[in-house]
Amino acid sequence: MRTSIKNGIRLGAIVGVVILFFHLTGFSVVASSMLGSLLANVDKGAAMEEIPALNLAVILALMGMIAGGSASKNKQNDKWSNSLVSGAVAGAFAGLLTGIFIFVIGFANFKEIDLRNYLPEIGPDVIDSLLFGGNAAAPYLYLALLTVSGITGAALSKGVIRADWRKKAQADSVQSFKTLTQKPGVQKLFGNKIAMYGFLALAALLLYFLPTQWGSYWNYIMGTVGIYILLGLGLNIIVGLSGQLVLGYVAFFAIGAYTFGLFTAPEPHAIGMNFWLAILFAILAAAATGVLLGLPILSLRGDYLAIVTLGFGEIIRILIKSDMLTDFTNGPSGLSDLTQPKWLGQTFNDVNFFHLIVIFVAIAIFIAGRLQYSRTGRAWLAISADQTVAKATGINTYKYKLLALALGAAFAGLGGALFASRNQFTGPEDHILMVSINVLCLVIVGGMGSIPGVVVGSFVLKGVPELLRDLESYRLLAFGALLVVMMVMRPEGLWPIGRPAMEAAYNQKHPKDSPPEGEVQS
Amino acid sequence: MDEQKTKREQSSLNVGKLVRWIAGILLLALIGWRIYQTAFIEGGYGPDTWMRFIIAGLVIGGMYSLIAIGYTLVYGILFMINFAHGEVMMLGAFGGYFMFELFAFIKAPTASDPNMNFLNAYPLLSVLISFIVGAVVSAVAGLLLERIAYRPLRKAPRLVPLISAIGASIFLQNAAQLLFGPQRRQYINPDILWRGTGWSIPVGDTTVLLTYTGTLSLVLSALLMIGLAYVVNKTKLGRSMRAVAENKQAAALMGIDVDDVIGKTFVISGVLAGSAGVMWGIHNGLFNHYVGFLPGIKAFTAAVMGGIGNIPGAMMGGMLLGLLESVGPAALGLDFQLKDVIAFTILVLVLIFRPSGLLGEALSEEKV
Repeated sequence: MRTSIKNGIRLGAIVGVVILFFHLTGFSVVASSMLGSLLANVDKGAAMEEIPALNLAVILALMGMIAGGSASKNKQNDKWSNSLVSGAVAGAFAGLLTGIFIFVIGFANFKEIDLRNYLPEIGPDVIDSLLFGGNAAAPYLYLALLTVSGITGAALSKGVIRADWRKKAQADSVQSFKTLTQKPGVQKLFGNKIAMYGFLALAALLLYFLPTQWGSYWNYIMGTVGIYILLGLGLNIIVGLSGQLVLGYVAFFAIGAYTFGLFTAPEPHAIGMNFWLAILFAILAAAATGVLLGLPILSLRGDYLAIVTLGFGEIIRILIKSDMLTDFTNGPSGLSDLTQPKWLGQTFNDVNFFHLIVIFVAIAIFIAGRLQYSRTGRAWLAISADQTVAKATGINTYKYKLLALALGAAFAGLGGALFASRNQFTGPEDHILMVSINVLCLVIVGGMGSIPGVVVGSFVLKGVPELLRDLESYRLLAFGALLVVMMVMRPEGLWPIGRPAMEAAYNQKHPKDSPPEGEVQS
Repeated sequence: MDEQKTKREQSSLNVGKLVRWIAGILLLALIGWRIYQTAFIEGGYGPDTWMRFIIAGLVIGGMYSLIAIGYTLVYGILFMINFAHGEVMMLGAFGGYFMFELFAFIKAPTASDPNMNFLNAYPLLSVLISFIVGAVVSAVAGLLLERIAYRPLRKAPRLVPLISAIGASIFLQNAAQLLFGPQRRQYINPDILWRGTGWSIPVGDTTVLLTYTGTLSLVLSALLMIGLAYVVNKTKLGRSMRAVAENKQAAALMGIDVDDVIGKTFVISGVLAGSAGVMWGIHNGLFNHYVGFLPGIKAFTAAVMGGIGNIPGAMMGGMLLGLLESVGPAALGLDFQLKDVIAFTILVLVLIFRPSGLLGEALSEEKV
């Protein structure tokens, strides 16, 4: 019983703080209005006070159920009474916290103290809707609602989610999925070349026809995703394969974009180079920068390398922006009117440009895939697993690390040039640290060292946020939280590389070869 | 064994080393030439200006030192870069700000002035409480950060906690922006501690202003650093911290609660960062949710410069970085926009030529 109460208070506190956070950041109101369009009881773009109290209540009840459900999990003594007590305590505690908060802001509103100076989201109308339309009994309502939903959540969790019949059904479904994938026919489909080519052809067909249909907005979004796939593939070679943590990847992106820009923009140099030649120069310039940067620093240890490259990225951006180089780079105003690609005398429109990006991505995936499973790729993997051992087996680690950096930089240079050309503009603010972090995150979220992972990661981190436009201001917040949760729950990524599984299978067959189990000193 | 390894490394790193040294000599020559030019040929700045730069450098250097110690403590124990440490400092700045606002709001009428507020009636107490609140906010933030984002990852590969830290940093920055708004806020100092007031020190034929806020920051950071040195060297907690940094398993076998010590380390670094945040607010005035980012990275630079994992190194590195950053652009005759470039260039140079830092010992491969 005591653990149940303790559990309840712990989860109640967590969920209570989360609800407060949602209230304070205005997320509760946004979510209520989104729920409104789902329940069709709010018009799009309705004012805050028009949102019915029901929607907020539904969201609160969901939170309460989450609190109750998670609190009711008790490993030692999974009894009905314990579960319900935990759920009730969790709900009541969350209700108490939020009730007090609601009382305070309601009181402040009543006394006409404007909290917006400190908490900009808490305006009078928001407070009204958080108080279920200015209801004076709102604190009690919160308490009651959250307690009831906590108990409901606990009951649902105990009676449905953790019920014995469901556990069995779940195990069965996992088993049947496993047997399905192991059926000879399905296995054949996976390994079959014809099936694969068919799938590729279908994908190519879709990628050819879809852009003509879905309009320029989606072309832009999907083009961005494509460019990020390019960047991700490059960084994947550096970080995922060769294991060198580079945080200033944006430097190569910037070098690519600016090389392209300086060669093609009418200002400040008016060279007016051809698109294709400029792209080539951008790739070469980025790769050369990679080599030049890599020569002195690649012998550094992991974390130091990360920070040096981070510093390098910032140096490049600040230098581009500085007054010192304004004559050369156009300073903070950036380069505009960059060349668009031309083919047979015709300038590319957005559909052509999207196709161009797709072609480049396909080439990049081909190159990256071939490299990954070549001797070079194995050398990189060996370096990332253990540099000393790699060296001892005769791998010239320095050379391979340099190669990885140069190749990764070349990919970034291509991405930068394409990005600049598509926007017909590039400026210092395109090359902030956030680009590096975005790319690194998509590589990691997808699964380090995994090419399909890069593609999945780009869609998740660059494509999905576009679908949730209403939540634009919460995007980075969710992004940060996602990274932490991802690292804690699933550090291998969404689509992990197959190699560790293969190793595990090998170790099972040859138990003597596997390294001794034990804690590795970090 | 060691000798063999160095030999092998030498042969494979020959090209890199050569490039490194040529670049280093060229760079030193360039810097020497620039300093010679600005100091002796152009002679643009008088002694009073240099004095001003040095004071500004020391004040900012003190803050860098406090933040850098946080990086170094955590790195020394967990071998991870606490990327979110700058955000911990930012939260401290917010904590102090809200305290000041509260004190300015509370009325404390005195006989001479019925409109007096608490802040001006008891300035010393207000400043002290604000510092304590800022430090507590940061300490709690650091503790939660460790519990939520780092503790579950203690045994993961090294990249994993770093990514988690980057995520936490993004989260905290945006949470602060959403909660408190993106606008810049200004610290309301007590009247006697108003920014821009201070003692005038005669230098040559002009005077240089030594501000009260700057003096307060510098003295307080010195006191905090002395306190930290005492805690680390003389107390039981400090001894366990050093033991855990040396070897977690052995420390656990000696009866030290490793998790507890790590938590306390985060609390200590949070206290230092929070104080630095309040100092930042009092001295510079303006701040927003983004305030932790650059000082965080620069403090990391300072920690690396002094040799990461080395506490005196972090203190020295912070001071040195503050000074170089404020004197550097003038000495090299550069634009003041390039102040940040100087900091990062120093970082790159230190790492290339002396990766273990100025005071750091050479770390063995295992600690890498």
